[in-house]
Amino acid sequence: MAIAPEPAGRPDTAPAAQAPLLVVEDIVKRFATPDGELIAVDHVSFDVKPGEFVGVIGPSGCGKSTLFNIIGGLLDDYEGTVRVAGERVRGPHPAIGMIFQEESTFPWRSVIDNVAFPLEIAGMGRRERHERARHFVKLVGLDGFERRYPAQLSGGMRQRVSMARTLASEPKILLMDEPFASLDEQTRLLLGDKVLQIQQQLAQTTLLITHNITEAVQLADRILVMTYRPGRIKRVVDIALPRPRSSQIVSSEAFGRHVAQIWSDLREEASLGLQDEDSAYGRERRA
Amino acid sequence: MKGGAAPAISAAEVRRLRIVIVLVVLAAWELVARSGLLYRDVVPALPTIARALYALLAGGEFYWHLGVTAGEVAAGMTIGGIGGLAVGLLLGANRFLSEAFERFLYYLGPTPKIIFFPIMIMWFGVGVSSKIAMGALSCFFPVALSTAAGMRQIDRVLIRVGHSFRANAWQMATKVYLPAMRHPVINGVRLGLGVAIIGTLLAETKLSNRGVGFLVIQAYSLFDMPRMYAMLIVLFVVAIGVNALVGRLGGLDAIKRP
Ligand SMILES: Nc1ncnc2c1ncn2[C@@H]1O[C@H](COP(=O)(O)OP(=O)(O)OP(=O)(O)O)[C@@H](O)[C@H]1O
Ligand SMILES: [Mg+2]
Repeated sequence: MAIAPEPAGRPDTAPAAQAPLLVVEDIVKRFATPDGELIAVDHVSFDVKPGEFVGVIGPSGCGKSTLFNIIGGLLDDYEGTVRVAGERVRGPHPAIGMIFQEESTFPWRSVIDNVAFPLEIAGMGRRERHERARHFVKLVGLDGFERRYPAQLSGGMRQRVSMARTLASEPKILLMDEPFASLDEQTRLLLGDKVLQIQQQLAQTTLLITHNITEAVQLADRILVMTYRPGRIKRVVDIALPRPRSSQIVSSEAFGRHVAQIWSDLREEASLGLQDEDSAYGRERRA
Repeated sequence: MKGGAAPAISAAEVRRLRIVIVLVVLAAWELVARSGLLYRDVVPALPTIARALYALLAGGEFYWHLGVTAGEVAAGMTIGGIGGLAVGLLLGANRFLSEAFERFLYYLGPTPKIIFFPIMIMWFGVGVSSKIAMGALSCFFPVALSTAAGMRQIDRVLIRVGHSFRANAWQMATKVYLPAMRHPVINGVRLGLGVAIIGTLLAETKLSNRGVGFLVIQAYSLFDMPRMYAMLIVLFVVAIGVNALVGRLGGLDAIKRP
């Protein structure tokens, strides 16, 4: 797993002509809750081509993390199929690397040992895995912090450690679930730059889940806008902004148009979500 | 230890206060001993105790008994600790088992284990084995309970990280679960060690012919109070030392790897 073969194709040939690397087909996920069945993900289908950066955006509670865990092979008991390079996913797939929404560094491991974790799991020797890990620590701009422990780092730095750790496993597909959700806007934009830079450098196929419109438009080639409960795909938006990009693109006019369009899509979904929460609150108060 | 501003109290001041407290207690002791208010040697004068302490530490007999007790505690800790760890892991991992059995542990945990001593004597005899059984029984409960609680407190996302990198069951146990729950486990071992020492000593005072507990009760029945106090002082110091050692295990960990 450590040495991933070359990606099936590079984005220099037109992506549209290539076989998709990730195929998500007709996923339905239901949860049994005290108030009856809850459909978290409802017939979601899409695919991601090699080298492509796809964003999934939707209001809080629409099933994004559920979808993320299904694609990552951490949830079962769903309908539909997930395929990676034609192979059906059952359980965590070696070609997929996940970056989680929550704080996920191992507090008892130093930065370098956190990043080397997947290599250690794969059975690589100490010296070699540290050497490799050092490369990815540098890639996320944390050189000099190798021996620090997560508690000695800022939230943004810890998130970069998680990113380096997942990149160190050299996944063919990078899945990220709101990796910057807990960060302030400036850090978020700068980390977005880091992601762009890494993505362009590694031609990394990426699926980014977020509820931040700016972040999605800044980073993605294509954005899937999801509805609020049951989580369906409401619209697919192609982002025709030139690459390479940086956080400066945020101030361009085309960027503003995309953001406005997606926001109008999302506004009604988000307000549905709020109404839902209000009525749940009302129920609780009456009970 | 985990960042945070240092409190405004200086360490030197705290140390000075501690020394003052110890001196006050010693002075009060000496005062009571000299006042003659209490019957003969119940509160012996400090120099008398010091002499007894010297006699105790200069002779060889005491060390042999101390060795017996230490061996019993170590064996009890090993058996009870491993048992507690295994049961705690099982209860932590399995909801059904924990719902069914953990309540028993909660109620049995704080019960003084000495009430089981007659049974232990019947099962294991009056020798060393019944003392080991008492130590094991005592330390089993805190280790099992804190292991089970520690396992449930593990941040779920760390487990998902382990799975997402396709760690196998052994790797999950050694590289995720155990390190993630090291603080509660070490705490349980510390509590367990305390009660194992108590359990073993108590058993020795009841029915035995060796060990420090036996020596203490022998001194008591011969009314050799200075010798008894001397032994209590040694026990006290040893207990503090051992506790500090286990604490260092957990503490160092906390400083170096927050
Ligand atoms: N294990 C579960 N059991 C029952 N319901 C669940 C479970 N996991 C998620 N849900 C429900 O499924 C819905 C989708 O949850 P999910 O975590 O996927 O949302 P999300 O889009 O990631 O939200 P956020 O942006 O806030 O992270 C929510 O209503 C949630 O309450
Ligand atoms: Mg989520």
